Amino acid sequence: MTKPVEISFDDLRRLPKESTELWVQPSVRQRVEQVLRFRVSEPKKTTRETKCVIVIGGGTLLDAAKAWRADQSPATRLIAVPSIWGSGAEVSPIVVANDLGQKDIRMDDRFLPDQVVYWPELADDIPGDLARTACGDSWSHALEGFLSPLADDALRNEIAELISRMLNTPLGNSPRWFKLSAEACGAQACSSVGLVHGIAHTLEGPLRTSFPDQRWGHAKLCSSFLAPVMAFNGQGDGKSNRLLAQYGVDKKGVLKIARELHDASAYRTALPFLIDNWRTILRDQCTRTNVRLVRPSDLEFFERWIAE
Amino acid sequence: MNNHQKLKDLLLDVFLIGESEYSLEISQEDIETWDSMGLVAMAVGIEETFGHHLTQEEALSIRKFQDIVDILSTKGMSFDD
Repeated sequence: MTKPVEISFDDLRRLPKESTELWVQPSVRQRVEQVLRFRVSEPKKTTRETKCVIVIGGGTLLDAAKAWRADQSPATRLIAVPSIWGSGAEVSPIVVANDLGQKDIRMDDRFLPDQVVYWPELADDIPGDLARTACGDSWSHALEGFLSPLADDALRNEIAELISRMLNTPLGNSPRWFKLSAEACGAQACSSVGLVHGIAHTLEGPLRTSFPDQRWGHAKLCSSFLAPVMAFNGQGDGKSNRLLAQYGVDKKGVLKIARELHDASAYRTALPFLIDNWRTILRDQCTRTNVRLVRPSDLEFFERWIAE
Repeated sequence: MNNHQKLKDLLLDVFLIGESEYSLEISQEDIETWDSMGLVAMAVGIEETFGHHLTQEEALSIRKFQDIVDILSTKGMSFDD
């Protein structure tokens, strides 16, 4: 899979101003405008004559830019600057659109940005709780990518090494997570994800609708369900435990991280939605590539699971 | 539980079909959920239930449920009731 070329922040500043526009997440606009002197625009106002768009934001804005460029202005150069980690949108050929609670997922190399810039100072602007759940998103990509039935030996070795670096990076606002997350997403794209993502994709819409003030999103769901899903995967024929041991992954360290990420209150809130949407979760394409087969009767495990 | 019943329970769960829909003659064209990801789930389930890791060739050769019985039978598993 091709990847966007990484360029430096200085390279970004040297771009010609007359033909470059910025799309900026509001949460980082003040910082951005202090150091970058490009015209700030937005998706509806950018024209096809724009030679270069620099998009600085989270996965949603990055995906909007990727889709706009591919569908409406293929000749425009697109430079992605993630303001938060987790989605891997800056290095992914996947675009996720959320329409009325339904995720529309498209995959095409046309969606890949041309270049990516990592701006470490943006990590300072991320609220602490969002930074942690974004780490949970990254961890879910790494672990599910590693355990995927579609992963081969080379990929598992690659992700095992990545996991060891992730274990040495504290959860929270470390800018090291920008690149760790990109690596995790890039590696997982070569295999698949699993039940954590099947749950997150299915429940995000209903939870957001029911609790609009609780900031339910993909990362929060991944963080809340990683521990119980890892516990579920560890049962059955024990394949996930064998894989972790075979590739030298520190299982205790991984489970400790999953417990740290787990939000028991969020889990209790989400559980009725898990029950109501279990059949939909079973049918989700991510669930169907889980390391352990997920059966209708396995709902009982999650109803009974309590964090240790 | 004999192997026939194990396989039936497995396939009902993998493909999310009801008992009344089940038959060893069911083919890929008959089931909406028998797509590439369904094939992955089936392979995972077969390994968990019968201890046999399907090769890529075996997985791609399966066109109907009976084909699974035929493959597992060659591995020494009995499906005689």
